[in-house]
Amino acid sequence: MASLPSIPGELASADVASGVVRLTVREELYPLDAVFAAAFTFIKDCWVVVDRADAAHWAIALTPKAAGASAELLEQWVGGFANELLACAYRHRLAKDHRATVEAVTAAALAGALGPPSLDELEDFDFSNEAFEDPLGIAMSWEDKYGKKAKAGDAAPAGSTDDDDGGAP
Amino acid sequence: MRLAPLDELATRHAVAFRFRPIGDRVLITNQEGRWLLLTAEEFDAYTRDRVPADSPLHARLAGANFLADHYDLRAAVEMVRARKRFVHHGPNLHMAVVTLRCNETCVYCHASRADMDAVHTDMTREVAEQTVDFIFKTTSPFVTIEFQGGEPLVNFPVVQHLIEYALDKNRAAGKQLEFTMVSNLAMMDDAKLAYLLSRKVQLCTSIDGPAPLHDKQRVLPMASSYDHAARWIKRINDAYAAAGLDPTLYHVEALLTTTRATLPQWKELVDTYVALGCRALFLRPLDPFGFAARTGPKLEYPRREYLEFYRRAVDYMIELHGRGTEILERYAAIFLTKILSGVDPNFLDVRWPAGAGLGALAYGYDGRIFTCDEGRMLDAMGDDAFAVGHVATSKYRDVVGHETVRAVTIASNLDATPDCVDCTYQPYCGVPPSHSYKTQGTIFGRMRESALCEVYKGIQDYLFEKLATGDAATRATLERWTTHRPREHFLQDAAGSPAPGTKPVAPRP
Repeated sequence: MASLPSIPGELASADVASGVVRLTVREELYPLDAVFAAAFTFIKDCWVVVDRADAAHWAIALTPKAAGASAELLEQWVGGFANELLACAYRHRLAKDHRATVEAVTAAALAGALGPPSLDELEDFDFSNEAFEDPLGIAMSWEDKYGKKAKAGDAAPAGSTDDDDGGAP
Repeated sequence: MRLAPLDELATRHAVAFRFRPIGDRVLITNQEGRWLLLTAEEFDAYTRDRVPADSPLHARLAGANFLADHYDLRAAVEMVRARKRFVHHGPNLHMAVVTLRCNETCVYCHASRADMDAVHTDMTREVAEQTVDFIFKTTSPFVTIEFQGGEPLVNFPVVQHLIEYALDKNRAAGKQLEFTMVSNLAMMDDAKLAYLLSRKVQLCTSIDGPAPLHDKQRVLPMASSYDHAARWIKRINDAYAAAGLDPTLYHVEALLTTTRATLPQWKELVDTYVALGCRALFLRPLDPFGFAARTGPKLEYPRREYLEFYRRAVDYMIELHGRGTEILERYAAIFLTKILSGVDPNFLDVRWPAGAGLGALAYGYDGRIFTCDEGRMLDAMGDDAFAVGHVATSKYRDVVGHETVRAVTIASNLDATPDCVDCTYQPYCGVPPSHSYKTQGTIFGRMRESALCEVYKGIQDYLFEKLATGDAATRATLERWTTHRPREHFLQDAAGSPAPGTKPVAPRP
């Protein structure tokens, strides 16, 4: 691995013989999403590997798909990656800081796109389902469960029992 | 374009915008697709939040909704809704492949045509009726039935039956119904044309360039395919004119498939279209489907060469337009409509979510349903990944809600696609997942490696370069290309008879 003339050795190095560029970038500055986004822009020309170098750095390796990359080209890639990474980190911040607005606009614009259920959907609905059991009266209305007792002779409301006190709460 | 160091870049004053260098300017776009071209100094001031509140730049940024303090949420919502209006309805374009038989042999045939004796690839009357029954279940109030092939004129009795059946069905359905036919016109005759004109079927054909190129690429045994197409284009255009229809609006549309041989002939190509009376030229690059998958090595070309060809041809069209000749490029018109007018023309191959299944369905001659025409072509190549049902047995909701349609919808969401999510052209773009599937083996396309993405980016770069020049005449031409004038003559009257006030169209002998 050799340093590239115009780039600090701790940031980028190149193995010209095997045509590989290796870069390390600070995790504190560059979130992984930005690193991925920048790396993605190289997938047409390179095989790309993103890994963790250590607790504070990401490591990126760019290997050209075509053989015979010159030192100048490798250096160009390092510069290109650095610029792309900066742009991606900025875009990442913009997206993060304005996510709520973007989501609000999208939700408001597309509300109602699904539309009401169609006849096809209603046709598939199973109307034969039996009412579920409700021994505790959870699904009963307040009036049914706690309402006044029926006068003598009236039919008892469904679900009422002799234990109901009939009083208002 | 030069960005300041990261710790000097501000975000809170701005909105979620994207940026891209265009020549010596920087293009910025926001979520709803408004855009500005900034100088390097203006971009630097904007990204550092150093734009004076009383400056013209501040007014431009605020006016285009790029400043948080002046953010017009309602305007953003309305514009996004206008751009995505197509998601509120079901499929409106229904492509019926009435036969695979074709009388021509094209070197790039995307349709996987069959020989003329392959009568088993003809749609039957029964399947035609089932297809119409299925089409009319769409939740869209707009229905366009497009006849494709093969060559649809080969199975003309079924075309007629399908049309009559659909017209009859529409008396109750009341859809805004249109018919179009994609034909090479070589099997056209007076009787067929009289019928098609009486039923207001819009006709579209293929012209690959000057006669020698067209005839070489679209082989018609013992005859010139160009001569047939040119003769019928004139006959049809004359019939429209004789019926009092505006010739600038009513004329045969023609499509081009660009091969390697087309690239050096950009000028002759444009001149051919103008001479034929065509007002639009669609510079479509080669698709990877059908025969083109096999003949590709002979026909294909690097997309940067295509983009050079595109620039030369469109420059020439702009020049002609400036001299009074009405001719436009269809891709440019599609993108410019999105860029300049803020609405989406709903061209199914350049939108997101994709048109496959949600905006269009394709019907094979045997009644099988596909998310898109390309899906039908892939099926003909032995891959049924985009088959979603059959007209005789499938329910509408099962087809439109099919897991393949859902997958394609998710895969075409550019807010969740690497690269696209950051792309400045995201509000105007969209790549069909079927294209990514065929070329990359996945519906979740890797756009950085996509030939179609390269084309779409290159075209939009070109258009913004043109807009950046500030040349008034060029801008006027480009704006003219976004003018949409509905062709109401082609709308069927729901009562099944010609709409009131329209003059019946008859071909000239």
